[in-house]
Amino acid sequence: MVVSTIVLYFYVKNLLREEVEEELFSTLSRVEIALTNNKTQFSLAPLVDVSEVPEIKAQILKDTIIYDPSQKEMEEFRELTTFKKINQKNYKISVRNLVIESEDILVAIILSYLIIIVSVFIILFYFSKVRNKKLWLPFFKNLESMKSFSLISDKPISLVDSEILEFSELNTEIEILTNKVRGDYKNLKQFTEDVSHELQNPLAIIQAKIENIINGDNLNDNQFGHLTSIQKDIQRLTQMNKRLTLLTKIENNQFAKVEQVIITDLVQETITNFLEITSSKIEYHKKDVIYVQMDRYLAEILCNNLISNAIKHSPNKGNIVVEVMGNNFSVSNEGNLALENPEKLYSRFYRESETNKSTGLGLAIVKRICDLYNFSITYHFKEDKHIFTVNFNGHI
Amino acid sequence: MKILIVEDEQALQQSISIYLEKDGNLCEVASDFKEAVYKVHLYDYDLVILDVNLITGSGLDVLKVLKKQKKECGIIIISANNSLDDKLNGLDLGADDYITKPFHLAELNSRIKAVLRRGKYGGDDMLIFNEIKVDTKSRTAYINSKSLQLTRKEYDLLVFFMTNKGRVLSKEIIAEHLWGDNSDLADNFDFIYVHINNLRKKLTAEGAKYIKTAYGSGYKFIED
Repeated sequence: MVVSTIVLYFYVKNLLREEVEEELFSTLSRVEIALTNNKTQFSLAPLVDVSEVPEIKAQILKDTIIYDPSQKEMEEFRELTTFKKINQKNYKISVRNLVIESEDILVAIILSYLIIIVSVFIILFYFSKVRNKKLWLPFFKNLESMKSFSLISDKPISLVDSEILEFSELNTEIEILTNKVRGDYKNLKQFTEDVSHELQNPLAIIQAKIENIINGDNLNDNQFGHLTSIQKDIQRLTQMNKRLTLLTKIENNQFAKVEQVIITDLVQETITNFLEITSSKIEYHKKDVIYVQMDRYLAEILCNNLISNAIKHSPNKGNIVVEVMGNNFSVSNEGNLALENPEKLYSRFYRESETNKSTGLGLAIVKRICDLYNFSITYHFKEDKHIFTVNFNGHI
Repeated sequence: MKILIVEDEQALQQSISIYLEKDGNLCEVASDFKEAVYKVHLYDYDLVILDVNLITGSGLDVLKVLKKQKKECGIIIISANNSLDDKLNGLDLGADDYITKPFHLAELNSRIKAVLRRGKYGGDDMLIFNEIKVDTKSRTAYINSKSLQLTRKEYDLLVFFMTNKGRVLSKEIIAEHLWGDNSDLADNFDFIYVHINNLRKKLTAEGAKYIKTAYGSGYKFIED
């Protein structure tokens, strides 16, 4: 670019100079003819200047700067001065011609270059943009549908076909992959459901048989103790089973019934029920009334699990504080140490301590319910208290 | 009472009938859908215990047959499915109660008695054991016509004991009857002890000493 600009500049400059000089010579010859014929001396400053001089000198061709009154500025001229003897008189004939200034040439070149480049650039830009857009449209659409793809929704991914081979190959692979993942996920869910379901019959049989043994004869206290301990474990298994089924159902979106639930009242009911079975003290601070649109059964589970979790994990039957304020429902219980792995709190079968016989599913269920309705749940440890807070973001 | 047990798990079927026959009930069993439909067509029962998930069909269809025949019998549905929809479906179709597997036989027995007590099956809402009389409609208990002041849990306990008289009831069974799924929270079952003790005191004060301890940690409601 730069080189071509420079070359072009000198070439054009040279060309113009030659043209100007040619014109000067032709003007000069016309002036000479005029002088020969008319014998009068005339001037047309600054272009033609004729004067009588005593002697004849050599011809001069040079650049000069003269004030041009019509332009009112100094202008560059090319000047040809010739001394000629015409009709026995010595004349000095100067013809001048305006030279196009080199800056002007340069500016013109650069300007035209710029105009060409910019317009070419703009045209190319839009052209490629339009073309690219058309070309990549299926890709971006598919990217979008991949982003919104969710295993939970149970819908297959829908992809836009493309004429481009690579894209359509990519589509095929994505479809195969997502279908496989969906299938596996479905199997897994079905498996959990089937297992829980199939476990219930043997559990029912064991439970019934134990009861008949207890009611039979020839039992001693020790045997009775063992049998009731088995009953306790069956109950744990049953609980775990129920909760696993519940988790699967929440994941399968089987709770589509939404109604208005008054959390404030529901919490009150739950606390009343718990007070019958625990010696922990439960304080209830009812500051606001919260209405939430959700499945009533899930709302009950949510309150129940959070409060029972607090009861289970409060040492020495300490105080439990339940608060309903603004958008938040929080449950806190006393504790000595913050949890070691709060990030694992909501995973299945995670227990901080082995001491209590919980199913390890209560909080996982709470988390799923929160996820289902876009509530947020947070845990923090403050002033020797474990605090769980559910925020019912704008579901009021 | 004549009871039909429709259940495809033979072991469970047997256990249920053993438990119920001790009360002098006459139990018949049906192991699949066909047998169940056949039996309800031929015979009259006071109560039918119906498993929803039969291998050869749905217990709910047996229920429909029963309702079509307009037979006067109580129906209790047993299901392995703890879903609310199933429960409502069954109750909408005319079942009297619903119980989820696994269950305690004492609990089933208590429900059976409750269904049979209801007026429409010839019961009279009254539960009587010697001098103790319980009006289940108004939820009040009397000893020798003297009304007994009981809390809600004590009342539930008394009814549970009376419907399972002569049976050994472990704390686990009692806890689950009183508090359902939350019973695992009852700290070492101390609370049951408190409730049972209070009920026992109230009964003993009126001379009714029927709540006995069995095997150290269980209970039995029985006449001396």
